[in-house]
Amino acid sequence: MTAHPLLEGDLARGSFLPLQPFDIDHPTYVAVIQPDTAFWGLTRKDKLAETLAGGALLDAWREKGETFAREMEMLRFHLKPSAVYFNPTERCNLNCAYCYIPEEMRRRGEQMDEAATLDALERLHSYFRGHMPEERLPQVIFHGAEPLLARDAIFPAIEKFGDRFRFGVQTNATLLDQEAVSFLTARGVGIGLSLDGPFAEVADRTRKRWSGNGVFDQVVRAIEMLDGYPGYNVICTMTKENLPHLTEMVEFLHARRVPACMLNVTRCTLAGARTVRGEDDDVSKAYLAALERTHELYRETGRKLVVANFANILIAILAPTARRLMCDISPCGGGRSFFALAPNGDLFPCSEFIGLPAFNGGNMFRQPVEEILESPPFRLVTGRKVEAVAGCDTCLIRHFCGSPCPAEAHEMNGGMEQKGAFCHFYEEQVRYALRLIADGRHEDFLWEGWDDGTEVICAVGAT
Amino acid sequence: MKQATETKPFEKQAQRRPDVIAIRKTCDAAGTGLSHYVLMDKQAKR
Repeated sequence: MTAHPLLEGDLARGSFLPLQPFDIDHPTYVAVIQPDTAFWGLTRKDKLAETLAGGALLDAWREKGETFAREMEMLRFHLKPSAVYFNPTERCNLNCAYCYIPEEMRRRGEQMDEAATLDALERLHSYFRGHMPEERLPQVIFHGAEPLLARDAIFPAIEKFGDRFRFGVQTNATLLDQEAVSFLTARGVGIGLSLDGPFAEVADRTRKRWSGNGVFDQVVRAIEMLDGYPGYNVICTMTKENLPHLTEMVEFLHARRVPACMLNVTRCTLAGARTVRGEDDDVSKAYLAALERTHELYRETGRKLVVANFANILIAILAPTARRLMCDISPCGGGRSFFALAPNGDLFPCSEFIGLPAFNGGNMFRQPVEEILESPPFRLVTGRKVEAVAGCDTCLIRHFCGSPCPAEAHEMNGGMEQKGAFCHFYEEQVRYALRLIADGRHEDFLWEGWDDGTEVICAVGAT
Repeated sequence: MKQATETKPFEKQAQRRPDVIAIRKTCDAAGTGLSHYVLMDKQAKR
């Protein structure tokens, strides 16, 4: 692997302008960014010329630039998987508009039994223990399709492997009865629910049963059962159907004391999802308005609703190596910090690829995981670097966005060297995050303790 | 992810901001998740 240019001496030679201005639509501040190292600063606009010529920011980058470069090199190219998205079934009792699992799989797909689930976890445990330190547990997230259709397989697995993995379940909530809630919460299992609107008329437009009936009431019932449990969250997928109600959505979640949520863009990997995607500008406006509303609610009540995907962008700026989610870094986390397991044992770089046979890397029941991770389909994803994506290669915020998502770029735009669907949305997110930092409001959008275990390596004018 | 319910000292944010700002923290990289699930920092039994 070629070393980063900064590690080969360009930094010392000073052969390029390190800091480049990036407008953040702030009345007072403009950002300056060194894109390769994800180093950034904010300067008052009337000080921009002198900041670019010298001073504290340039000094900081000259002193620490190689450290920053090594940090990005480690983050981008030297992680090993520590999580698996475990799909125990291809089947689902819902037919949501934007699902990335093909319809035929969701109707009649394969499903693991208990023996296969336990076998898979034994194999995964052996794999993870080969490179992860004892004190750090690998994560298994039961995902789908709808994983609770395979409840008889995954609950015994959670019981048996509870001390060897950290478990999570992402569910549509329709099968989450009181018994399941008691079982999962008693074992500290993370629970993710999906809900796309603050009332049935909106939520049921995109998330519904095969019959066409919506499931809003069942999800709200699950939220009520989980009230007070800190390990749960709600994912809302932003579509053109719910964008006008996004601010009401965060009010709804905050009122029900939901501790964290995600406001995710519609991943456009499959054609069905593209029919409900919002326009880039519309998504950006609704999303930023909803974020502002979460801040108002925090100020009014002292209680946060953390929007985790935005928090991750903030963290990517403040502490690149502390990011939790790996969609907005390049290469993305697919196939290198996590992978996805299909019910028959096939491995894919990410759940997003499960409906795409060309990205099947091999079968875990017949091949070592290590071998599958080096397969051509995995390498196609793990080798997708933002520097090779047209238009992203010169973008100043390329390491705060990562040019997601490879599945979307490949299927929707024709190749790994293409952008994904929401370039402007990511740009606006980064601008907003930098404005929050300029105003000193950024911590209000993060959860307490997000930076536990980090150390400050650069602080200029920061309080 | 630990969840917070504490109130922050908002008045602090009204102070004049510096001319130049930069913040960077570091730790061992351990990012593991995709956006289909919110990763939690610690288990939370009840």
